[in-house]
Amino acid sequence: MKNKYIFGGSIIVIFLSIMIYLFTQSNIQYKDDFSQVMNTNKTVKATGVWVKDKSYEIDKENKTFSFYLMDDQGNEMKVIYNGTIPNNFESATSVVVTGKYANGYFHAKDILTKCPSKYENQDVQTSTM
Amino acid sequence: MIGTIVLLIALAFSIISMVMYYLSFKGYKNTLNYARISYHAMAMLVITASTLLWYLLLTHQYQYHYVFSYSNNSLSTGFLLSSFWGGQEGSFMLWLLLTAILGIVLQSYTSKRGNLEQRVMTVYALATTFLLIMVSPWFKNPFEYIWTTPIFIDIKSINSSFLGLPFIQQFLFTDQSSGSNLIQMNTELHQLLSNAGISVNQFIADGRGLNPQLLNFWMQIHPPILFTGFAMSTVPFAFALAALMKNDYRDWVRQSLPWLLAGMGILGLGIMLGGYWAYEMLGWGGYWAWDPVENSSFIPWLVGVAGIHTMLVQRKSQAKGGFGKFARTNLLLCIFTYILVLYSTFLTRSGVLGDASVHSFVSPGMLIYFFLILFIGTFLVIGVGAIVYRWKYLTDHTQYEEGLLSRELALFTGAVVLIASAIIILVGTSAPLFGQSVDTFFYNEMNLPIVIIIGLLNGLSLLVKWKDTKKEDLIRKILPSLGAALVISLLIILLGGINEIMIMLLTFSAVFALVVNSEIAFKIIRGNKKMLGAYIAHIGIALFILGVIGSAVYSNETDVDLVKNETKNAFGYEMTFIGWTPIDNNTKYAFNINVKKGNSEYRVSPVMYISDFNKSLMRIPAILTLPTQDLYISPLSYDDGNNNHDHNTVTLKKDSSIYFNDAKITFVKFNMQAEAIAKMQAGEDFQTGADLLIEKDGKKEKVELLRKVISGNVEFTSFISEEMDLKIDLVNLSAGDVEIELSNLNGMENQLTQPQQEILTVAASIKPFISFVWIGVIVMALGFFIAVLRRLPESIVKSS
Repeated sequence: MKNKYIFGGSIIVIFLSIMIYLFTQSNIQYKDDFSQVMNTNKTVKATGVWVKDKSYEIDKENKTFSFYLMDDQGNEMKVIYNGTIPNNFESATSVVVTGKYANGYFHAKDILTKCPSKYENQDVQTSTM
Repeated sequence: MIGTIVLLIALAFSIISMVMYYLSFKGYKNTLNYARISYHAMAMLVITASTLLWYLLLTHQYQYHYVFSYSNNSLSTGFLLSSFWGGQEGSFMLWLLLTAILGIVLQSYTSKRGNLEQRVMTVYALATTFLLIMVSPWFKNPFEYIWTTPIFIDIKSINSSFLGLPFIQQFLFTDQSSGSNLIQMNTELHQLLSNAGISVNQFIADGRGLNPQLLNFWMQIHPPILFTGFAMSTVPFAFALAALMKNDYRDWVRQSLPWLLAGMGILGLGIMLGGYWAYEMLGWGGYWAWDPVENSSFIPWLVGVAGIHTMLVQRKSQAKGGFGKFARTNLLLCIFTYILVLYSTFLTRSGVLGDASVHSFVSPGMLIYFFLILFIGTFLVIGVGAIVYRWKYLTDHTQYEEGLLSRELALFTGAVVLIASAIIILVGTSAPLFGQSVDTFFYNEMNLPIVIIIGLLNGLSLLVKWKDTKKEDLIRKILPSLGAALVISLLIILLGGINEIMIMLLTFSAVFALVVNSEIAFKIIRGNKKMLGAYIAHIGIALFILGVIGSAVYSNETDVDLVKNETKNAFGYEMTFIGWTPIDNNTKYAFNINVKKGNSEYRVSPVMYISDFNKSLMRIPAILTLPTQDLYISPLSYDDGNNNHDHNTVTLKKDSSIYFNDAKITFVKFNMQAEAIAKMQAGEDFQTGADLLIEKDGKKEKVELLRKVISGNVEFTSFISEEMDLKIDLVNLSAGDVEIELSNLNGMENQLTQPQQEILTVAASIKPFISFVWIGVIVMALGFFIAVLRRLPESIVKSS
């Protein structure tokens, strides 16, 4: 009876430690402050808004898509994504990019676009009609 | 209005039913009939309210917020019907509807099995009560009028004959960023309209419509099946609590097993239908992405399936006279299956995963958030609390002797492994609650060894007998299967060129499970076919794993530029882009590609279009399904050769050139003087420059474009030459790169000198044996349903 618990217990301990180890290995933190993003060499999820004034760019040769992303504090960084422009990109209210910052660019391996499902949360300005 | 009232009365009946059932359980006479009538009244009212919602959608009653938000005039009847569950309010409504209908079946089922009904239905009515509160006016009511919460409506959706009304002006807004004109619909406007004798339904001519990603055949099927699975998981929970209420743990296992089997069969099917939808439509490229929405419905499935296995052990061990082994485990698993369904709803509906930042809730979301927590909390406290309360009664003192090679232990180990997998996925999926997130390799790495063990146990558990197996017997039985499995997996490994040890093991374990189960299934197919359930379900799992190995590990992807009428080869497929055709009333474009493989020729047409709904480019892949593999063609972009794109900016690195209008433009160097750096650091105005060299018709011209910072604002200069018919605007200067916009002066968009050719860029990938994934899931679900047929008669236990 005692052996059973020791056996079961040790399996649980091994399982949990492997899980915790892999969790820390694959852990990606959300950052909404780009000054932190630029100063870490870890993979992060950076959240910001696309700077519409600086139009995005599609490089057909190298199959990259790049644009500028701005955080709440107004920090901007250039994001390069190895792939094509995601669906919904133009209408996205905020963009979450997963990747690393290096050599002056944020190299994204994944882009998640968040779209306004309703106009309710959007700033709408009164026109002078 | 009527809908809301109907739902509120239903809520009242649900509460009455719950209280009456409880009183009946407590021994109060004459309460059972009231309880039954109230339950049925509630169910009928929910059906009425749902029918009403369908009616409102079909007749375009845009005065309802929900109808306006999720449907429009152009939807076909099928999509109008499925816009019922296009939004949150409606999906709660669907869940409620299915739960209510299922309860009628459950009431009939329990009333025929001893005094089960009162206890089970008390708990079940608690679940319907919570769902009814969810759709009540305080939370997610699908019958809310559009003006209750102010909403902006695009002017295009308004009946234009009313735009001339004098009071409209004050509700008119312009969204500067998109340039669209909007009307703010609120109570005030509603008042003014009704004073003028205009109904809101007349005023709003069209709805917003359904998200284009939902406009797919599977939208009509996947949600109802998934929610049926969700609704069915309420039943084992109710049975477990009923057992705890009566403090009798013998019969509930047989009684709830058919429900758990059917529920998990349906839930599994629903989950994979979602996967198929994603594969076919959303262009994820695969059927599974470890996405939170997928994960969160997969977790309860794993726990429920674990429960099925340990419940079989309990049922078998009851032959000794006691209530059997694993009573606590089974109660906990049945309780947690439902709680995890609720948790799944919490993760996907409360907005916690909706945004990267956990802390950004809008006020209506906050209320839902707390209500969902209350919902889960109530069921968690009741479920776990009851087990703790009964803890000391839950040990069966009957002595069981079974060896290491017993089916009991094999089934238990199987359940443990399934739960381990559920915990892994739960941890990964819940990480965003704490501002963390995991990479998908976390799931893959952790689950790989687990799936190998599942495959091996899957085969082994059927070769060992209940109680104990003699070693010699096992060896004698296992050797042929083991040999056959080794030969087949070696063939697969060699032919497939598998070189990773873990994938080899996985292949072997899946083949082993397939061989053992097929052999047994083949033996009993002539006997009692009802016994086939488990074997068929296990064959399904084995096929599924083999399909996953083929399609995930050996999938290959490449981007191909298909120049019109030129043939390109990818993975042995000769592909020729032959032009596009407009489809669906010119709203979408099908890009036709001829695919040749050997002597067979096929035509595939991926689709791209700009959606009116979200003003975005949407892409629909095309799939060529062949016996051994799928060719998956996802459209990336299309270039019509005219080069008149919206964004004609070019980035030049130092010393690189671009040709434009026969002019060669070279980025020579970056001008940043020490003086400028000092000024920049001091925060004063400064300028930096880029030297460009332009060569055209033998002439050379050096140009410097400037980036000026004047009192904090950035300005860029341009270069215009009439002689060269060229305009260069500096867009940005950054570390080492210059970004310029090129155009010629007569207003034409830029013409980068390239031959005029139409190019379709696609991502082509092959998915070997992906059909095994679908076949596996269908076979598995079939196995579950055969098992239900076997367990259903067993569930009729003499009243005790």
